[in-house]
Amino acid sequence: MAEGRVAGRAVAERDFAAVLAQVKPEAERLMALYPEKRSALLPMLHAFQNVEGWLSPEAMAEAGRMLSVPLSVVESTASFYTLFFRRPIGRYMLQVCRNLSCRMNGADDVMAYFRERLGVGHLQTTDDGTFSYEEVECLAACDRAPSMQVNLEFVYDLTPEKIDELIAAMKAGTYEVAPLPQTAMPARDWHVGQDTGRKSPGGQDVSHPNAPGGMGDPSGIDLIERLARSPYPIEARPTQERLVREGAERLKHAPHNGEVEH
Amino acid sequence: MPVVKVLTEGIGEVNLRDIGEYRKRGGYEQWQRVATTMSPADVIDLVSKSGLRGRGGAGFPTGRKWQFLPNNGRPRYMVCNCDEAEPGTFKDHLLLEETPHQVIEGMLIGSYAIGSNHAFIYIRGEFKRGFDIFSAAIEEARAAGMLGDNVFGGEFSIELTPHRGAGAYICGEETALLNSLEGKRGEPRLKPPFPAIKGLYGEPTVVNNVETLAFLPHIVKNGPEWFAKVGPEKSPGYKIVSVSGHVKKAGNYEVPLGTTLRELLEIAGGARDGRTIVAIQPGGGSSACLFEEDLDLSYDFDTMAAHKTMLGSGAVVFFDDTTDFVKAAHALVRFFAHESCGQCTPCREGGHWLELTLERLLHGGGLDSDIDLLVSVSHQMTGLNLCPLGDSIEPFLASVVKRFEPQFRRYVKHAEPATV
Repeated sequence: MAEGRVAGRAVAERDFAAVLAQVKPEAERLMALYPEKRSALLPMLHAFQNVEGWLSPEAMAEAGRMLSVPLSVVESTASFYTLFFRRPIGRYMLQVCRNLSCRMNGADDVMAYFRERLGVGHLQTTDDGTFSYEEVECLAACDRAPSMQVNLEFVYDLTPEKIDELIAAMKAGTYEVAPLPQTAMPARDWHVGQDTGRKSPGGQDVSHPNAPGGMGDPSGIDLIERLARSPYPIEARPTQERLVREGAERLKHAPHNGEVEH
Repeated sequence: MPVVKVLTEGIGEVNLRDIGEYRKRGGYEQWQRVATTMSPADVIDLVSKSGLRGRGGAGFPTGRKWQFLPNNGRPRYMVCNCDEAEPGTFKDHLLLEETPHQVIEGMLIGSYAIGSNHAFIYIRGEFKRGFDIFSAAIEEARAAGMLGDNVFGGEFSIELTPHRGAGAYICGEETALLNSLEGKRGEPRLKPPFPAIKGLYGEPTVVNNVETLAFLPHIVKNGPEWFAKVGPEKSPGYKIVSVSGHVKKAGNYEVPLGTTLRELLEIAGGARDGRTIVAIQPGGGSSACLFEEDLDLSYDFDTMAAHKTMLGSGAVVFFDDTTDFVKAAHALVRFFAHESCGQCTPCREGGHWLELTLERLLHGGGLDSDIDLLVSVSHQMTGLNLCPLGDSIEPFLASVVKRFEPQFRRYVKHAEPATV
C-alpha cells in the first residue's frame, strides 16, 4: 500500500495496488495501439487520472516502468500539459474561459463572480475539497460565450443565476456531471510549476504588477524604461543583471542628500 | 451570399454520429469507390485539381503537401490535427462531435492517397466528449468493414487510432503535435526536415486539419471542378467560418470563400443593437485586425494575405465600438505567453514581459513609453522562433495599438520619475 507523498488529509487509505489492477488492462490495450509504445504515455496518464482523480507520483512511476521511460522524463512530460493534475484536486474542476470572445461577452464578470462565490482564486481549491477553480484559455466554444468546462463537460452562456444553480447542484450532489474520484484531500493550491506564483525571469514575485520587483515597482519601471531608451544597439545592450549590478554600484557611490562629494 | 451546407449538411437535423444515418445519406460510398476503383495517384490528382488548401491555418495546397512524401519504401503516417485551440475557432469541435463519420471517411481517403496504413487523429484534451464520440464512431466503422485489414477485400489495410492530448495549444503546431503523439513534451521541432520527410517516428508523415480531410469525400463525389469553381481562383471552395465576438448570432457558418466580411457579419445576425463594428480579427488570435473600412473585403486566403493579415483557421471575431482594446490585447497576449512552450527565448520572455506591461497599463501604473514598448518588443519577438507561436503576438497587438492608440494612452498615468 503506497503512501501518497503529497500533503493533505487522506480521504481514505490509498490503495495503489487496487488502482494499478484497475488501470493495467487499459494500459496494455493502449500500448498495443502504437508502433512505439511510448506514444501510450499521455493516454496512460489519463487512465490513471481517471481512476485516482489526480496524477499521483506512484502513477507516474508505474507508467514509466511500463513504458521503459525514466520517471524524470514522465514527470517532465506530464508537467508540460495543463490537464494533468499533479496534486489532488476538488471533486469538481471548474475551468472558466478567459480568452478573447468570452471576455468580450462578460467573462470578467463571470470570473469575479466565481471567485467571490467560491472564496478561492485561480488555481485554487475550496477548503472542503469540493471545487477546484481555474481560468483557462480558449475552449473552442466562442459561439456560446462566456463558457466553461466542469470536469471537461461544457457549460455555455454563463450568467450569475446559472452559476448559482450550478454550485448549488454540485454541493447537493445532484449536478448532471459526475464528480471526480477523490483519493486524497486537496491543499488550497493545487497547481505545480511556474503558474503557482507569478515570477519575473529574474525570479521576483510579480503576482501583482505593483509588488516589489514587479513591473509596477518603480525600480522595475526604471529598468524597462532604460532598456527601451537605451542608446545601445540591441545586440550591444547590457544584460539586465549587469544593469542592476551597475545601478546598485552607482547607488553605493552616489552622494547622499545634501552632502558634497569630496 | 447564402450559407451553404456541405460539411454541415444534416447537422442539427439528424444524428450523424450514427453510422446507419450517415450511410443512409451516402456516407462511406466515396471511400468505397476510392478504395475499389481509384489509384492513390488518381486521388492526389483530383485533390490537386480541386485547389483545396489546408483549413487549419497555413492554407497550404493539400495535394502538393501530399506530393512531398519521398518514395523511400518507409512506412507513412496520416495524422489528422484536431487540436483546435486557436482563440475564436470552434469548427473542428463541431465536426468531431456532430459528424465523426465524415471525418473518418476523409481520413481514410487521405490515408489511401498517400499510402499510409496507420492514421491518427490528435484530439485536444479538453474535447473529452468529442474523443469518446469519435472513438465510438471508429468502432462502428470498423464493425461495418470500413477500416481494418484488406478493406473491401482488396489489398489496402488501414488502422485508425484516436489520441487525446492533455491541454497545450502548441500541440496544434504540426511538429509539436508529432512529439506529443510520440509521448513527449509538445515542443516544436527544428525544420527542416519537414514532417513529409521525417515526421511521426521519423517516418514520412502528412498532418492535415479536420476540415481539410472532411472535404475529401465531397471532392471525390462531386469532382474537382465542383470545388475549384467556387470563390476566387487561387483560394477556392467552401469554408466553415467560426464567427464570434460582438454579434447577435455567433456560430459556425459554412460559406463559399470570397464571401465578404460584411456578408459574414450579416449572416451572424449583425452588430448588437445601436452598435457599430470598428474592427475585425479575421483569422484567429494570431491574425492582425482589419477595420470597418475593410468590411467589404473578400474573405479568402489571398485577399487576407494582401491586407497583411490572414484567413488562418477561419475564426472571425467582430469588435464593436464598446471594445476596450487594451483588455482585448491583454487577453490574447496572455494567451500566447501562457501557451509558449518555452524553447525559444524571444517567445518565452517576450510574451511574458508584454503580458506584464499590459497588466501594468491596466492597473494604472503604465508609462507613456509602454505603448512604444508593446510595439517594439512584439516586433523583436517575430521571426526568431522555431515555430510561429512567437510571431503570433505582433499582428494583433501592433494593429490595434496603431489604430486605437488613444485607448492605450488613456490607461497611462505618469509614475514618479525613477530615483536610482
